[in-house]
Amino acid sequence: MRKLVVAVAFLAACGRPAEHAPVIVGSKNFTESVLLGELVAQKLEANQCTVERHLNMGGTLVCDSAITSGALDTYVEYSGTALTAILKKPIANDRAAVDRIVAAEYAKRGLHWGPALGFNNTFAMIVRKSYAQQHGLKTIADLQRVASDVRPGFGYEFVERPDGWNGLQSHYKLTTKVPPATMDLGLTYKALASEQVDLIAGNSTDGLIDSLGLVALEDNEHYFPPYDAAVVYRNDLDKKCAGSSKALQSLANSIDDATMRRLNFEVDGKKRDVAEVVREFLKR
Amino acid sequence: MPAGAAVTREILRVTFEHLLIVLAAVSAAIVIAIPLGIWCTRHTRAGRAALRVVDVIQTIPSLAMFGFLIPVPFIGGIGMRTAIVALILYSLLPIVRNTVTGIRGVDPNVRDAGIAMGFTPRQLLFEVELPLALPSIIAGIRIATVVGIGVATIAAAVGGGGLGTFIFRGVAMVDTPLILAGALPAAALAIAADLVFTIIERRTRRV
Repeated sequence: MRKLVVAVAFLAACGRPAEHAPVIVGSKNFTESVLLGELVAQKLEANQCTVERHLNMGGTLVCDSAITSGALDTYVEYSGTALTAILKKPIANDRAAVDRIVAAEYAKRGLHWGPALGFNNTFAMIVRKSYAQQHGLKTIADLQRVASDVRPGFGYEFVERPDGWNGLQSHYKLTTKVPPATMDLGLTYKALASEQVDLIAGNSTDGLIDSLGLVALEDNEHYFPPYDAAVVYRNDLDKKCAGSSKALQSLANSIDDATMRRLNFEVDGKKRDVAEVVREFLKR
Repeated sequence: MPAGAAVTREILRVTFEHLLIVLAAVSAAIVIAIPLGIWCTRHTRAGRAALRVVDVIQTIPSLAMFGFLIPVPFIGGIGMRTAIVALILYSLLPIVRNTVTGIRGVDPNVRDAGIAMGFTPRQLLFEVELPLALPSIIAGIRIATVVGIGVATIAAAVGGGGLGTFIFRGVAMVDTPLILAGALPAAALAIAADLVFTIIERRTRRV
């Protein structure tokens, strides 16, 4: 009984309303997004904010509807994704222009775009190295050579979004015969490595591309827009926890492509704990 | 989403696909699980171990299960087959458990009467134990089927088709009508299956 009383008292102490409601940090359902969510969360905690993590939430639009409705306060988004999938604007390739359009549109929705973290995580059309050698594939345009028998396998988002598979096919005048197998995004690497499919859409900063013996095809006709990672937060963030936006601004340009790839590999390749990898990164 | 008749046709096609996955998986699970359940009642200690394995299978998250199955030749890969294999594994628990419970629940006096009448172990099984355990076994199959209709939506995560396709696409695009196009037929299937089993259970009780 005494234990119970202690436990209840402890819980009550924990549940005592903090001065402000917690800042809710989200992320999408892949390693890099979870890493960046954790990075934002730790940065806010270092700023004495109470943080609630909702990492690994689902795809782009799930995160977007959560942040616009106020269920999330901040998460990390990519400029090209915001432009095409969220804002439904036509695909654009000029980096600065994309950034400007997205920031302006986000401001209208009560959200702040930025700081940019400093790396571009574009889609990577990935094949096995042996497959690339066998068919002489270096660029996405080369896929035409195997169009009659290449077996694509994608996550649901890539098949549906405007800057995804359909757009890629019409841009490169690709007409593949085998329709893409749609599956959970996380399973596509496994499917590719075990030769169940021949072509997947991953991220250029994925840590596993090299270690699994895979190769990314060059987007030689620049179909994909820039996907610069940036922190998105609600305009009222500082009301929840003073100094938050300033703390987040200090993350500007702190991660380049190679660093992001390395962080992803720490988690996906070396199976290390996300929070620990982030803590180590912030210490340096 | 395309409009009108095309949508209806697509929903029907995918619902049929869904039903196929569940029927294939539950049928296979019945063929495996009932003999396994009987075996468990005959070998107490090994049976307990087997039941524990079946329990553990139930706790494996579906995506992890697919991760294991994709590289496996013959039963794995991408597509409906892998989904069916996973669903068979998930369907084992209720059927095995209920078979064991049903047979163990047979009144010892009835069993003794059978033995006194000179029944062979085989006759005892088929003419006494199984008929008496039947309601329990059917209840297990009922649970496996109704739960399976829900669980089969994960087939879409491994390219296996079925109603989960709408749900996964809908979730990726935050398209609620699309999610409902998958969820509502699945719910209807589950209710329909439950009704069918109510009828079956009533029939078997009468015997």
